[in-house]
Amino acid sequence: MLVIDEYLAVRVLVGARPGELPDDEPLALPAYRHYRLLQRVHQPGTGQLSALLAASDQQAIRRPDADVLQILDPRPLLDEAAAIGARYRAAGLLVGETLAAGLTYGHQLWFGTSRNIGTRLAQIAEDLHIAITVAEPS
Amino acid sequence: MKLRASVPVRRHNGAVTIGEDLRSERHQRRLAGDPRITPEGRALLLRLTTGDLMDEFQAALDADLAADPALGGHDADVT
Repeated sequence: MLVIDEYLAVRVLVGARPGELPDDEPLALPAYRHYRLLQRVHQPGTGQLSALLAASDQQAIRRPDADVLQILDPRPLLDEAAAIGARYRAAGLLVGETLAAGLTYGHQLWFGTSRNIGTRLAQIAEDLHIAITVAEPS
Repeated sequence: MKLRASVPVRRHNGAVTIGEDLRSERHQRRLAGDPRITPEGRALLLRLTTGDLMDEFQAALDADLAADPALGGHDADVT
């Protein structure tokens, strides 16, 4: 299982899986990253997708086909996420859960752009020996 | 008393081939993406994640996070 970010999740859903991503591994998006993506679908304002995407596109994002993209159950990760939050202070649910998922699934995380990693997550990942791979658009 | 080893008997009945076919089919589906995505949706989503709308998309993601301390934590620079 490879843990990926919102960018890679979208690219995988549209069938534009980056070549760097091994194609024999199931892919999973942490639940709070899925929530963050869903906010783009539901909330008004810049980047609002509900007005731009067809209903079937939205359904694919809301409830992804598990063969294409899995959404991680956050419950088994919460204890680790809280421990990371306590140890590093103020990491937040998004960062805590992502790092907990990285620890659980092979000590690695995959991002679609370096801009979506963030300084805090990168620092903690390095400390926890979680490898971060970025598959930037070509 | 005779003891009989409990060894599962394997017979070739085509199940392996069917299993391989299913795995291959799932693999192809995984690579093809979600069939519910429309061509127009695909084009827009690619612009957001790999093209000219990346800046706008990232700004929106960051704004959502900044507006939600539980999700983003106390440090603004978390994404």
